[in-house]
Amino acid sequence: MRFRLPLACLTGLAVMTAGCGSSSEPEASGKATISYAIWDKNDQASAEKIIAAFQQTNPNVTVKLEITPWDQYWTKLQTAASGGAAPDVFWMNSLNVRMYAKGGIITPIEESKVQGLSPAVVDGYRYDGKLYGLPHNVSIPALWYDKKLFDAAGVAYPTADWTWDDVKAAAKKLTDPAKKQFGILAHMWDQGAFYPTMLQAGGHVLSEDGKKSGFDDPASIQGLEYWTDMIEEKVAPVAEVYTDTDPIQLFQSGRYGMFYGGAWLASTFWANPEIRERIDVAPLPKGPAKEAVILLGLANAVSAKTKHPKESAAFAEFVASEQAQKILSDSGGGSLSLRDGTQEGWFKAFPTFHLKETYDASMPNGVPYPVSLNTAQWQDVQNKLLAEAWAGKRPVADVAKEIAAQMNEILAKE
Amino acid sequence: MHSKREWAWGYLLIAPMALGLAVFYLWPIVQTLYLSMTESGVFGGYTWVGTANFADLFTDEEMYGALANTLLYAVLVLAGVPLSIVVAALLNVPGLRGLSLYRTLYFLPVVTMPAAVALTWSYLFNGDFGAINHVLGTVGIDGPYWLGDPDFAIYAIAVVGIWSSIGYNAVLFLAGLQGIPRHYYEAAEIDGAGRLRQFFRITLPLLTPTTFFVMVITMINALQVFDLVYLMIDLKSPALEGSRTIVYLFYETGFVQNQRGLAATIAVILLGLILVLTAFQFRLQKKWVHYE
Amino acid sequence: MSRPRTWPAHVFLAAGALVMLAPFAWQLVVSLQTLPDSLRVPPKFTPSWQWSNFADVFRSVPLARQFLNTVVVTAAVTAGQLLLCSLAAFAFARLRFPGRGALFLLFLAVLMVPGELFLIPRYEIMMELGWLNSLQALIAPGVFGAFGTFLLRQFFLSLPRELDEAASIDGANPLQIYWHILLPLVRPGLLALGMLTVMWSWSSLLWPLVVNTDPEMMTLSAGLASLRGQFLTNFPILFAGSVVASLPVIALFVVMQRQLIAGIAFTGSKG
Repeated sequence: MRFRLPLACLTGLAVMTAGCGSSSEPEASGKATISYAIWDKNDQASAEKIIAAFQQTNPNVTVKLEITPWDQYWTKLQTAASGGAAPDVFWMNSLNVRMYAKGGIITPIEESKVQGLSPAVVDGYRYDGKLYGLPHNVSIPALWYDKKLFDAAGVAYPTADWTWDDVKAAAKKLTDPAKKQFGILAHMWDQGAFYPTMLQAGGHVLSEDGKKSGFDDPASIQGLEYWTDMIEEKVAPVAEVYTDTDPIQLFQSGRYGMFYGGAWLASTFWANPEIRERIDVAPLPKGPAKEAVILLGLANAVSAKTKHPKESAAFAEFVASEQAQKILSDSGGGSLSLRDGTQEGWFKAFPTFHLKETYDASMPNGVPYPVSLNTAQWQDVQNKLLAEAWAGKRPVADVAKEIAAQMNEILAKE
Repeated sequence: MHSKREWAWGYLLIAPMALGLAVFYLWPIVQTLYLSMTESGVFGGYTWVGTANFADLFTDEEMYGALANTLLYAVLVLAGVPLSIVVAALLNVPGLRGLSLYRTLYFLPVVTMPAAVALTWSYLFNGDFGAINHVLGTVGIDGPYWLGDPDFAIYAIAVVGIWSSIGYNAVLFLAGLQGIPRHYYEAAEIDGAGRLRQFFRITLPLLTPTTFFVMVITMINALQVFDLVYLMIDLKSPALEGSRTIVYLFYETGFVQNQRGLAATIAVILLGLILVLTAFQFRLQKKWVHYE
Repeated sequence: MSRPRTWPAHVFLAAGALVMLAPFAWQLVVSLQTLPDSLRVPPKFTPSWQWSNFADVFRSVPLARQFLNTVVVTAAVTAGQLLLCSLAAFAFARLRFPGRGALFLLFLAVLMVPGELFLIPRYEIMMELGWLNSLQALIAPGVFGAFGTFLLRQFFLSLPRELDEAASIDGANPLQIYWHILLPLVRPGLLALGMLTVMWSWSSLLWPLVVNTDPEMMTLSAGLASLRGQFLTNFPILFAGSVVASLPVIALFVVMQRQLIAGIAFTGSKG
């Protein structure tokens, strides 16, 4: 049951000149216009170039790019999908893909099209045995560091061989309370910080079958303690600091030695000549049990209701092709291309950063981001409770066990 | 005959506004009341759930948190109202030069876009490089991470709320002060009352109708605070727990999580809260407001 | 009567004015700093003349477009409010017709209801009209207002009845009386309502934020909010945007402050 609004439509007409109903115009036969929705402004330039390349080989197809800021992207998409008017092709992430697949909003993608793409990224887009997104980039968390502070303290720069202990030792030497200077930032970040350390200690976030939480695993707890210990030992600022100021911004203030941050920040950091000179990047340090880097990649999804399924699928496929991936890479924006061997252009865009080394060391240890059907729901619990541990209000071990209990309840209902 | 024509004209001239109000105000009220009893599907559609949303919210920690934060904010902002009285009283000093310059300066925050105000203040309040903690530091106080700490955030936001409404309220109070007949003061002066005594014995009591009006308006606005909080506290911030207001929760529920039915319920609860508290203020006014 | 000294008042008022003004000055200073300068501890209180921040903010969001949107929306909403409110206010104040009292009460009742209650259904109206991400979505609900009707009615009521009666005897119909005789006389009310509407419309956030998600169709207020999302890392650029966004209304206020303040004082006295 639902109220209808003919009255609203009529008065609306009386007030404004624009009409009711949809505005889609009929197209000449053979021609197709498809819409492509993305959220990252930093990817506009490369997306436009990719579209131009696609249109060159497919002269009958016109691709219209729509950029919606992240804050509004999902609301807008959900509203549009409710009205059966989702964009033909749109950016998807592995957190939301299950909801859209289950709701029948997006259409499955042929398995053959993801050949040669990192399984750690591709697997994030599977639901019910089918693939619902065609990944086109990869986000790699890394260890950024401030060379100026390292030089001043006489500490050697991080390398691909660094372990947790190296980080802790360096953090201690880099800390200088008098200058309000800290060795490291310990912001509560899942993909790049505490999920990897949970895995590196030999723990897990979610069981293989996705039915049980891994937060109560002692190894997982050890991975969490890596962070809270550093806050407690005062080599990292207290929790409120990261809420007050974005850690990315903090790191750029030149008072923090190390920073677990995305390799994709390269373009942000590079934009500022003063910052560009003083920082560099290394792969995530090894944990006591193993090396693990959680990879996330964005994918293109194709609307199940598109009027041009063939053209839309072809476009999504093209974005993940070698040609398009090279274009993405060469534009030196925020995104790193996913297809192996296409990254050279991106590395060269930021020549002094050790991005190639970081990439080469990270990809073999790539692990998919842990997701279940209601990921957002248990992550909510996880973030709320972990915040208490980060703030030093409760011991991590307690909090982790409570997260596990609540998470198991949520998972049981899936 | 003549009166029939007058009727027709009356309806005709009111029609555009009445229709608009019906479509954009009255109809939405009805619709919101209906939606508050429904659950919205992830991809559209509403199903009737009766009072289940209300029951859910009455056991929801976030809702109580939002309620507590909103009320605390309202109390803090109301506590700032006397500042405006002081400013107005100073502006009303006879023979004061530069009145219009002062008025302009005090009014600047009122005409500035709240979005811009919030951004500026979130920088001022920054725990590390904010000017406020720097100033506190010079007198030996180690300021907290105002907007990063759930225990402090709402106070910081209330400071901004007060700052940006002093000018508005002062203008209202100034008008009220200018409406107080001079002969009261003349009589007091003959009795030998000092200026402070005059202020407390004459000005404040005779200003109570304006004070009451300002309190009601301030409270209603405070209960609906959103802009400042939204721009100073990010959706993902742990400090949100201590600063999420009812309207913030409404926005979050309806337009971030897309649970429009539940959001409608929050709006209805907000309406109830405003009506109850306003009625309460009106009851209470008999105790302290002096009408001539 | 003794003339009191005014210097103590000046001391307090000037101190307060400093508190009012300082954040603006600070915003202006930081909008001209480089990013690292804006992150210094202790803070750097002088600009580094980084004018490129202003160019950057225009490049990174369609700020010029959002500026234009805001001007168009504000102008349309203000014009609509003035016309529709004055028409209804005139009818309520000067014409007799059955149901007038009840209708007016209904108008007043709308004033009591918090805006959030209208939001979701209005959103759905816009969705059904296909008006999401359009300027008319911002204008249409804005031109109607119970407050303006109420405010202008008070002004119309204060005018002597003889005016209409004389005109009526001369054969003028109510619309002519409204337009030629009374409207010019309620000019102060129109100016006050106009200024208030400009101020509200220019800075309103929640509705534009919800209904227009496309940056090209946003107003400055929502644009600034999304700028924050995009540039959480860069205060100088954020502030450059803030300065551009808030300057026009501040300028208008400085020119028109008498009318605005009269309007606000009026709402107080009649409330």
